[in-house]
Amino acid sequence: MLPQKMKKAITDNPKQLANLIDLVNLPSTLRDFVGQSQISHLGCFMRVWSYIKTNNLQDPNNKNVVNCDEKLKSILLGKQQVELVELPALIKLHFPKQKNMYFMSFITFEIVTHSI
Amino acid sequence: MGKFPPSFRSAISSTSLIKNAPSQQQQQPHYFPKKLTKKNSPKPHETQTPPPHKSLFKTSSLNEAKSLFNSFISTTKAPLLDNLRLHNSFLQSYTSISTLDDSISLLDHMVKTLPSLSPDRSTYHVLLSQSCREPDSSLSSAQKVLNLMVNKGFKPNQFTVDVAIRSLCSAGRVDDAILLIKEFSSKHSKPDTFTYNFLVKCLCKSRIFNSVYSFIDEMKSSFDIKPDLVTYTILIDNVCNAKNIREADRLVAVLKECGLKPDAFLYNTIMKGYCLLNKGIEAVRIYKQMKEEGVEPDLVTYNTLIFGLSKCGRVGEAKKLLKIMVESGHFPDAVTYTSLMNGMCREGDVLGAASLLEEMELKGCSPNSCTYNTLLHGFCKGRMLNKGVELYGVIKKGGMKLETASYATFVRALCREGRVAEAYEVFDYAVESKSLTDVAAYTTLESTLKWLKKAREQGLAV
Repeated sequence: MLPQKMKKAITDNPKQLANLIDLVNLPSTLRDFVGQSQISHLGCFMRVWSYIKTNNLQDPNNKNVVNCDEKLKSILLGKQQVELVELPALIKLHFPKQKNMYFMSFITFEIVTHSI
Repeated sequence: MGKFPPSFRSAISSTSLIKNAPSQQQQQPHYFPKKLTKKNSPKPHETQTPPPHKSLFKTSSLNEAKSLFNSFISTTKAPLLDNLRLHNSFLQSYTSISTLDDSISLLDHMVKTLPSLSPDRSTYHVLLSQSCREPDSSLSSAQKVLNLMVNKGFKPNQFTVDVAIRSLCSAGRVDDAILLIKEFSSKHSKPDTFTYNFLVKCLCKSRIFNSVYSFIDEMKSSFDIKPDLVTYTILIDNVCNAKNIREADRLVAVLKECGLKPDAFLYNTIMKGYCLLNKGIEAVRIYKQMKEEGVEPDLVTYNTLIFGLSKCGRVGEAKKLLKIMVESGHFPDAVTYTSLMNGMCREGDVLGAASLLEEMELKGCSPNSCTYNTLLHGFCKGRMLNKGVELYGVIKKGGMKLETASYATFVRALCREGRVAEAYEVFDYAVESKSLTDVAAYTTLESTLKWLKKAREQGLAV
């Protein structure tokens, strides 16, 4: 029962939803792959997944593994092979949480001021 | 126990329980036809007049409308011109895009240029319904039309009330509707029960119950308009949906005091209330009471009962009831079987549920997407993934939608077995068939994969 409730909480949570569908300015590596300067987290995942499907990059012997081509390698930490299990996590790396970023910058700012 | 898969919820709400609501309208068959002929343009004439009414007017300019009418009467043959309905629909299509004052001027113009045309009550109803739909916040425009009507010698009657109230409610002006119905009751004619019940239904949707009760009391004390059985059914339905079964009991007592006899619809509504609260036994009590009072149970009664009993884990009794149902000459439908399957899946008897699917197809009752979703959910919960995959094939072939719970359970079951690629494929289907929103489908997949990764790190999963 619990997971269902949790899932409902996740989809009902507007912030979580916003993180998935808000457009984000992309770093250059991702920009080259996607071909546009802004995309949402969800859109990016869909793009990568459909790229894998259209180019038949899934390993024929083990469908759960993706053999990366050069283009895909550039955005997935340079790995030769990626398991489908870790795909969402790898893509998530490109979309760090906004709040944490702010928090981090705040901390570094504190450290800097203290050291001065 | 207690919770049940959302796949199931929609089966009930879409088929068996809502049947109570339309049934209230089914009781007024002699009513709607009248309204149709009054308000809408008559069909046979549309075939003779090529220009479709909707695109008749491109702008709301009065002069253009007048010239269009002139050209219209100069080109149309005589017998057709005497038809008032044609003119009404002409007027109606103009009022829908313009202001009330312009529409009244157009009517004046029509009467002047075509002396044979004599507007009757229905013509003014067209104007009235439009004036009530206008979003301005006063009743002055409606009153203007009513004055016009009275001046022309048409006293507002029950249909006038009905047209006005329905238009006001559809525009969301419930307050104005209450004001107007009181005015009508004191000045012209009392609303009939259909208008009254319609307004009560609208009130229940937008108001708290106390204000609905006070409205009913006021109508009773000032105008002697008493609530009837349908009114009480509407009230009980709304009370039950708010999970306030004690209030429903009180209402039943009140209506019996008034000398009304509960019918099958009312009993079904109360049973639904008990089922929502997971009190299947109470629902059975109502069923027995119903039989004692000589009210014949119908298909919805049995569906509600089987649903309620399955939900609270009394599948044995539900099965018995299915037999009784067949013996008394009712044909169990997809909802009946799906309810029962859900109960069996909860008990862990998934294979029994699957055999029920065969039985139901054998009897010529075709399963719906909800049936399949319930079974898919059951298979995945019962660790019979291969059967689940088979069933998913059927779902996909039939182009049916997946429901949130069965999708999530299926994806989890696939991932648990390490069949991640297939889980991705299911994700694709869910997005493609628009069963879920992209976000919901993705969050489910993402969290499942995250969980799988963790489990693998701990050496718990393949």
